[in-house]
Amino acid sequence: MIKLDATVRRESRYIAGWVLVLSLVMEAVFLVIGQWDYTVLLGNLLGGSVATFNFLLMGMTVQQALEKEEKESKDFMRTSQTLRTLMQFLAAVLGVALPCFSIPATLIPLFFPRIAIAFRPLFDKKSADNSKEV
Amino acid sequence: MLELAIGIILGCCALGAGMAMIAGIGPGIGEGNAVAKACEAIGRQPECKGAVTTTMLMGCAIAETTGLYALVIAILLIFLAPGRFVNILLESIR
Repeated sequence: MIKLDATVRRESRYIAGWVLVLSLVMEAVFLVIGQWDYTVLLGNLLGGSVATFNFLLMGMTVQQALEKEEKESKDFMRTSQTLRTLMQFLAAVLGVALPCFSIPATLIPLFFPRIAIAFRPLFDKKSADNSKEV
Repeated sequence: MLELAIGIILGCCALGAGMAMIAGIGPGIGEGNAVAKACEAIGRQPECKGAVTTTMLMGCAIAETTGLYALVIAILLIFLAPGRFVNILLESIR
């Protein structure tokens, strides 16, 4: 078991928080449009946990790759990306093939980390402004 | 004739899914190059490790989304599209 770097831990926590918030928003949207049932919840749990776990694994890979030689780190990152894509593929196939998971509720959370990163500059700017005021 | 049409639909869906996954090659190469350059940067300025790691993580996550779009399209083409297209074909025959 490798010890997680403080940066990786912080970023993973940030992504996990956003995935949780966006998952709640998605559940609310399903409720409002009258499409909510237990499959949405299960699909959301599957998709959200895979998205967060994928980001954590990516952080661990980056952490390990930065300690290797340049050539070695390149190959290490590529292998990791392939395996992580395979993991996401399997999760998505489960979500689509099994009737207990809602398809959109499984697939949409896979993009939540990307949305979280898109929001990041807004909050970074805000915290930078606050620190300037203090 | 109907079997042939269904076969063509299934074949095209599988071919489309395979072609969509070509996009999965890009993020792997991009991430590999980014990490290699980050190693170089940290080797030159070890005190910047935290900042470089943060930027790397965000960059890798963004790069990976492209592959994810392709993955979702491929899954939809494999699992959902054939059924829909075959239904459309059968309805048009009726």
